[in-house]
Amino acid sequence: MNKDKISSQEIIDLVAAKASVSKRAAEEFLKVMIGTIEEALLAGELVKIKNFGTFKLQWNEPRKSVNVQTGEEIIIAGYNKVSFAPDTLLKDLVNEPFAHLEPVELDSENNAVETQKPDEISDPLRIFTEQASEIKSLISEINALSTKSDKKELEEEVFVIENELVYEIQEEEVVDDSDDLIIVDEEFELLNKTEQESVEIPIEESFSEPETVIDSLSPQPVEPEIVHTEQSEIQIADKEDSEQIAHSESEIPSTSFTNETVTLNKKKKLLWIPILFILLLGSGFGLYYFYPPAHKLADKSFHKSKKYIVNLKENVSLTDMFNAVSNWINPQPKPIPAPETVVVPKDTTLSDSLYVKQPVDSLQVLFDNLRVYKEFIASERIKSGSRLTLMARRYYGSKDFWVYIYEANKEKIPNPDQIAKGTLIRIPKLDARLIDVSNPRCLTKAKELHDLYVK
Amino acid sequence: MNHKELIAAMATKMNAPKSMVSDLLEITIKTCTEQLVDEKTIGFQSFGNFEVRKKEERLSVHPATQIRTLVPPKLVVNFKQSNILKDKLKDIPHHE
Repeated sequence: MNKDKISSQEIIDLVAAKASVSKRAAEEFLKVMIGTIEEALLAGELVKIKNFGTFKLQWNEPRKSVNVQTGEEIIIAGYNKVSFAPDTLLKDLVNEPFAHLEPVELDSENNAVETQKPDEISDPLRIFTEQASEIKSLISEINALSTKSDKKELEEEVFVIENELVYEIQEEEVVDDSDDLIIVDEEFELLNKTEQESVEIPIEESFSEPETVIDSLSPQPVEPEIVHTEQSEIQIADKEDSEQIAHSESEIPSTSFTNETVTLNKKKKLLWIPILFILLLGSGFGLYYFYPPAHKLADKSFHKSKKYIVNLKENVSLTDMFNAVSNWINPQPKPIPAPETVVVPKDTTLSDSLYVKQPVDSLQVLFDNLRVYKEFIASERIKSGSRLTLMARRYYGSKDFWVYIYEANKEKIPNPDQIAKGTLIRIPKLDARLIDVSNPRCLTKAKELHDLYVK
Repeated sequence: MNHKELIAAMATKMNAPKSMVSDLLEITIKTCTEQLVDEKTIGFQSFGNFEVRKKEERLSVHPATQIRTLVPPKLVVNFKQSNILKDKLKDIPHHE
């Protein structure tokens, strides 16, 4: 901690240098500033300075305490204390070195962080395969609900769809095998029958075929399906099936299914196409999931590695971020003041005001500029009973304009309410626009000045 | 009184145009801010001191949810009034 104490003199010097004013002027300004703030506080008001903070009085109730030396109880009287609440901008600027830190929740935070990461990074294809298996289970559930005959066809469809997802070649084979149509139909009908003999014959005929087709159907995910479907086949066919038939039937389904897909294509197009469509959509989604997360992951890991490195450059950019944010929240003029070459009318404060947009015209200029009274139209001597307001009414037309007479004779009038008898008051010549009785702005300005002087 | 009123009051006191007063005020504030950012203490005679204090990090528990939070350390601006000002404040009539 730098325990450097800077006196107000140093501030004055810095301000004088920056504002290009004389040191005396800067000193006077600072004195007036502190004085004004004090006066306002002593009057019980709070003082708010933009981009700096607010001063206000804090009342502390009287409380009991003990005299440390004698041990007797005493009461500490209630008192007012000046408190200062810094503005957001000031707060942020001062807190720069620690700006990058955030409050952190303990206990729950550790768990959350750990579980997120491994899921997303490992096994991108897992999402894809997970979806595929979900779809499988969904369809098998649908199968369970539907009727027996439909079941067979759907199972065959599942089998076909599985093939489509992973092995496209087989589809072609299936489509090409148009010769088997006739045999297939027979097999289909025969499978329904429970008689052993009729079953045996076509089995023998088609025996040659299954072997060729089975070879192409080598991959593993297919076989579990075959096992699944063959079990259902066995259920559909009667319980009298011999081992031979069961065995042969295990081989038949493979061909029959692939062949029957052709018939299915022709018979049940309506069911097959929407399911295919849904699966294509699903695979599309899976692909979408796969690519963007890879990008997000790359970014996440990048950010995390930077998090704990105290990087000066980063801090600067964060300051800029804060400035940008605070600027967005409190729209304000730029922090670094360059004394602007103002072509705009002189009174910038009023034009910047958020409350009242006053037309800045020549009249406003008259209001705001220092009024210097050089020419006088008359003079009056104060007698008992004479008042500035009466004089104002006589010379200007409204008693509210007494303030201008007061201003012109300020050095002679310490207190506008009480003027010494015999004082010579000179009535200044005023611009006609300033004391226009019919203009409400003139009247309000005069009243403003009245409030200011008669506080 | 707000920023605008402060400027108006100062302008009439100093017999200076408001724009000038406004600029001077802005520059003064800016200068003070810069000094505070440098962790310097600014002292105004008979008024008070502005200093920068460090608040250490701490564990705070949310009373309702009982979630423990680690609040990071930070630097804050502190104002301490001078005794002269304190005495002046005693004089004003208090009505509460």
